[in-house]
Amino acid sequence: MKRRIEIGILYSRSGSYQLISDACRLGAMRAIADVNADRRYGIELVPVERDPQSNADRYATLCEDIFKTSSARHVVGCVTSWSRKETIPVLEKAGGMLWYACPYEGFEANEHVVYMHACPNQHLVPLMAHVVPRFGANGFLLGSNYIWGWEMNRVARDLIADAGGKVLGERYLRIGETDVSRLIAEIRATRPNFILNNLIGTSSYAFLAAYRDLAGEDQAFSSDACPVISCNLTEGELPAIGESGKGHLSVGPYFAPRPAAFASSFEASAYASVQVIADVLARDPDAGPAEFSKAFAERRFSTRLGPIAIDAHSQHATLPVIIGRIADGFFEVVSREDEVSPDPYLSRYDPAKTFGRPRLRVVS
Amino acid sequence: MTRPPRIPNLGGASAFILHRPHPTVQAITRQLSAIGLVTQDCWPELPPEALAADFVFFDADLGFDEQFPWKPGEAPMPLVALIGSEAPGRIEWALSHKADAQLLKPVGNAGVYSALLIARQSFEARKHLASEIASLRQRVAERQTIVRAVAALSKGTDDGRAYAQLRSLAMSWQISVEDAARRIVAMTDEEGGDDQSHRA
Repeated sequence: MKRRIEIGILYSRSGSYQLISDACRLGAMRAIADVNADRRYGIELVPVERDPQSNADRYATLCEDIFKTSSARHVVGCVTSWSRKETIPVLEKAGGMLWYACPYEGFEANEHVVYMHACPNQHLVPLMAHVVPRFGANGFLLGSNYIWGWEMNRVARDLIADAGGKVLGERYLRIGETDVSRLIAEIRATRPNFILNNLIGTSSYAFLAAYRDLAGEDQAFSSDACPVISCNLTEGELPAIGESGKGHLSVGPYFAPRPAAFASSFEASAYASVQVIADVLARDPDAGPAEFSKAFAERRFSTRLGPIAIDAHSQHATLPVIIGRIADGFFEVVSREDEVSPDPYLSRYDPAKTFGRPRLRVVS
Repeated sequence: MTRPPRIPNLGGASAFILHRPHPTVQAITRQLSAIGLVTQDCWPELPPEALAADFVFFDADLGFDEQFPWKPGEAPMPLVALIGSEAPGRIEWALSHKADAQLLKPVGNAGVYSALLIARQSFEARKHLASEIASLRQRVAERQTIVRAVAALSKGTDDGRAYAQLRSLAMSWQISVEDAARRIVAMTDEEGGDDQSHRA
C-alpha cells in the first residue's frame, strides 16, 4: 500500500500573468502524475490545490488554508515575488516549505523557501555580460510596477555603470497596463543599445508589439541592432507575442529543444521541484525541514532539468545558464554554461570578470 | 561626484559571532553563509584573529568589556549588537561599544543582511568623520605655529605678504600650510631665534 502524501499547489488560474502560472501548474501536476505512476517512489502524492486568481492578497490566506485543512507541508507555487513574500510569514508559522519555480530578483534566502529557478547571477549578470560587448552598454530599463522590476533594474543600473554605460531611461507600468506609447517615444528619442524588459504579462506583449512597429519605421530598433532582453521570457508566452518577439533575447535554465520534454523553463522547474520533494519523501515519508536541509547538503538530485544540486545554506538550485534568441515559436540557443552555482546576494560578483578590464574614466 | 558602489561585495568577508552557544548563533550563521560570508562563533572571548574580521556580532545581554581586544568604542570594524533584554543598562553598555547596527533576539529568518549593510555604512561614515575631525583638530592646534611663521617671514613689516609667501612656500614644497609653518619655525629656531632673514 502506497503512503499518501498531500502536497499544496498554489497557482493562479486566471489573471494577467496566467500563461506563466499555467506553465508552472502544468509542470507540477505532470510531475505528480509521473511520480504516482512510478513504482520506485512508493508514495502517492495528492495535490491540494488553491487558486488565488492573481490577487496578491489571497496567496497568504490560501496558503494558510492548505496548511489548516490538509496535512500538506510542501507547497509548490507563487509566480510573482510579491506573492512569495506574502506567503513567507504563513510558511514560518506553519513550518511549511514553498517550492518556488520562477526566476526572481535575488537578495533573499529564507529557510522556508526552496528557489528552483534562476537568481541574478544566473540570469541578469550573464545576460548583460553577453549583450554589452555585442550591442553596447547604454540601456533603457522597463518594469512592471512591483518588486521584480524595481530590484532587477536596480541591479541593472549598477551593472551598466560597471560596464561604462549609461541608463538612458527607467520606466514602470502598472501590472496589466497596455498603453506603451510614451515608452516607445522615449526609447525612440534616447536611442539605447538595448532594452531590459522587466514588464510582465500583457504589458510585456503590448510593448513588444509596439516596439516591432517602431523597428518597422526605423532600422536602428531592429532586434539585431537594439535587442529587447528579458530574464523571464519563455516559450509559454511566445504564442501571445507572435512575430514581434523575433530576434530578441532571453535567459533561463532551460529552453525547449524540439521535440521538447517541457514547453518552458517554468514547467521544467516546477516539475523538478516535485521530483526533489518526492525523492526525499520516498526515502523518508516523515522528513521535515531538518531532513530536507540534510539532503540538500549531502546529495544531488536527478531531475528532468538534469542533475540538480541545492545549496544547503541559501536553498537555491545550481542551474544551467542558457541564453536564447527567439526564432519561429522557439528559442535558438546562443550560449550555454552548465552548473552555475547560485549567488543570490551577488556576493561573488566581479565587474572586471563580467565586463573585462575596467575602462579608464575621467576623474572629476 | 563619485557614485558609491551599490552591489555590496560581501563574498568571502569574515564575521565573528561573540555569543554563547545558542540557536541565535545558528540563525545568524545560516543567514551569513547564505549571503556568502565566512563565520566563526566564539565565547566568552574574541580570539586574536578577530582583529582582522570584517564584522563582529556581539551579545549585548551577557557581554562585558574584557571580551574585546580593543577599548570600548574603538573597534576597528563594524559591530552589530545582538539585543535580547532591552534593559537600559545593557543598551547603554552596547552603546558604549558604538554598535553600528543591531539585531533583536530571537533572530528569525531575516534581518542579518540589512544589519550588515547598515553597520558597514555607519561604520564607514563614523571613520570618515573621525579622521576629518582629527585632521581639523591638528590644523587648529597649529594656529600658533602659523602666527610665529608669519612673524618670522614678515620681520614686523607686511603680514599680508608674509602670509602669501608662506602659502607659496607650502605649495612649492607640496605640503600643508601648517607643515610649512612648522618648518619655518624650526629653521628660525635653529638660527638662534635671531632675526636674520630666511630666504627660500
